[in-house]
Amino acid sequence: MSLRIAVPKGRLQDNVLAVFSDAGYDVPTESEIRSRRLVFHRDGVEWIVVKDCDVPVYVEHGAADAGVAGLDQILEHGCSAYQPVEMPFGRCRMMLIGAPEAARLADERNAKVATKYPRITRQYLESRGLRAEVIPLGGSVELAAVLNLTSHVVDLVETGETVRIHRLVVEDTVAEISPRLIVGRGIYRTERARMRELIARVETTLSARTAAFLGRKG
Amino acid sequence: MAGKTRYPTGVRPLLIEEAARRRRIEGHFVAELERAGFAEVVLPIIDYAEPYAQIVSADTARQSYRFIDREGDLVAVRSDFTPMVARALAPAIGPSDLPLRVFYRGDVIRCEASRLGANRELFQIGAEIIGDPSPEADVAILEIAAGLPAAFDVRPLVVYNDTAIVSRLLSAFGEPVRSALVTKRLGSLDRARIDAPAFALIERLAGGFASLADVAAWGPLADRAAHLEEIARRLDPATFSLHLDDIEDGFDYYTGIRFRVYDGESRARIAQGGRYDDLYARFGTPAAAIGLTFTIDDLQERRAGAPPAAIGSPGQSLSEVTR
Repeated sequence: MSLRIAVPKGRLQDNVLAVFSDAGYDVPTESEIRSRRLVFHRDGVEWIVVKDCDVPVYVEHGAADAGVAGLDQILEHGCSAYQPVEMPFGRCRMMLIGAPEAARLADERNAKVATKYPRITRQYLESRGLRAEVIPLGGSVELAAVLNLTSHVVDLVETGETVRIHRLVVEDTVAEISPRLIVGRGIYRTERARMRELIARVETTLSARTAAFLGRKG
Repeated sequence: MAGKTRYPTGVRPLLIEEAARRRRIEGHFVAELERAGFAEVVLPIIDYAEPYAQIVSADTARQSYRFIDREGDLVAVRSDFTPMVARALAPAIGPSDLPLRVFYRGDVIRCEASRLGANRELFQIGAEIIGDPSPEADVAILEIAAGLPAAFDVRPLVVYNDTAIVSRLLSAFGEPVRSALVTKRLGSLDRARIDAPAFALIERLAGGFASLADVAAWGPLADRAAHLEEIARRLDPATFSLHLDDIEDGFDYYTGIRFRVYDGESRARIAQGGRYDDLYARFGTPAAAIGLTFTIDDLQERRAGAPPAAIGSPGQSLSEVTR
């Protein structure tokens, strides 16, 4: 049975495909991915390119054997897959951010938190003993705080530019986020040798890249 | 005509063919278990939530449907047979009754709304050996787990491990060990706080190449290594595979061997089980126990096959994509 690997569409896609390519896998080309095909067969591997939020779902339920997903999506879906390799790119922070005039969340009497990550946000609030109504949104989450729809938001922050421009206030780091190679537990149990090989190839590639980078700096 | 034409998420009726198929599997399992000396116990579909509060994890508790009954008590619909069997049997058994072999069958109801395609109503058949902590009892349950589905054209693959390995590492070195082993990355570990044989074991578990010799090398696990070696010696490695690096997120009540049974062809999980030597003591009668549970619908769906459905690309079916 061939291996099926889920690649996230969007900002991680090119980096992820480059890692697999460097690891010796024959990956689909950009023009092929732009076509309407759903599955790409290459040298014993089936590649599927799906929305980043769907990668943990495919892997969790065995529709894909492995994939690359951000920790935000892994946690939000309660994905139990192994996360053996952390990728060196696409890192950011998930942060609790207050509206410009809002009190700190603990002091806010009518606290509302807008987020694309309701599950993580509820767990975070519970772990800190904070009370707030969680408002799930699909995108442009900071806008909810800017327009006073909510007192706070929980969202990913890469450069912090949006936070600065809108004079939002960073209150706390909810989680350090990085993309990870994820491997389904079922496939790891039943095809361990093949999955260990996949993990080793990706690990070796990333180690070689790090060594090359440090060599250039040295 | 009724307004709602569909059923609630995760439940559905079994019509004539499916019902007959389930009964065939059930009949075979029951006959085989009775032949192996197991006697049936029948358990209630609801019970008070309180007796199980300290036993199951918060995640497991969240999976059960709960309600306040007319007397004001918090009641839960059955979501896991194993603690219920212990609660029912513990007050009724004495040393002269042990070892005891029992089996049970029936539905469990779980609220798993976020799980893609997961049934909420699961028909299960399970069996337990109570009062026997020996490797022989472990082997007996593992062999039954592999033997029962073989009659249904399944090539079983049984993957097992010992939860005591991780629980003792956690007791000694704290929660970061679990995170390192579950994610298989050691970045968060403070190496200075962990003695050399333990760190070597953790490193090899995370890397996927730990052996029983590595387990035995860390003193607190020497007895578990010997127990696992005894079990492995008695089992056919073509069917039973010891995966030391298969790390659990949580243990619930498991204390020793933990296993899953997969259909070797489809790689779908069809059964699971393990040892829970402390569970009966929590209900007043100390007794080691090991058991297994088959979710019959999982086995049934494996055998029934899935009809193809086109999803866009010519020649490609939904079952191919979702396997």
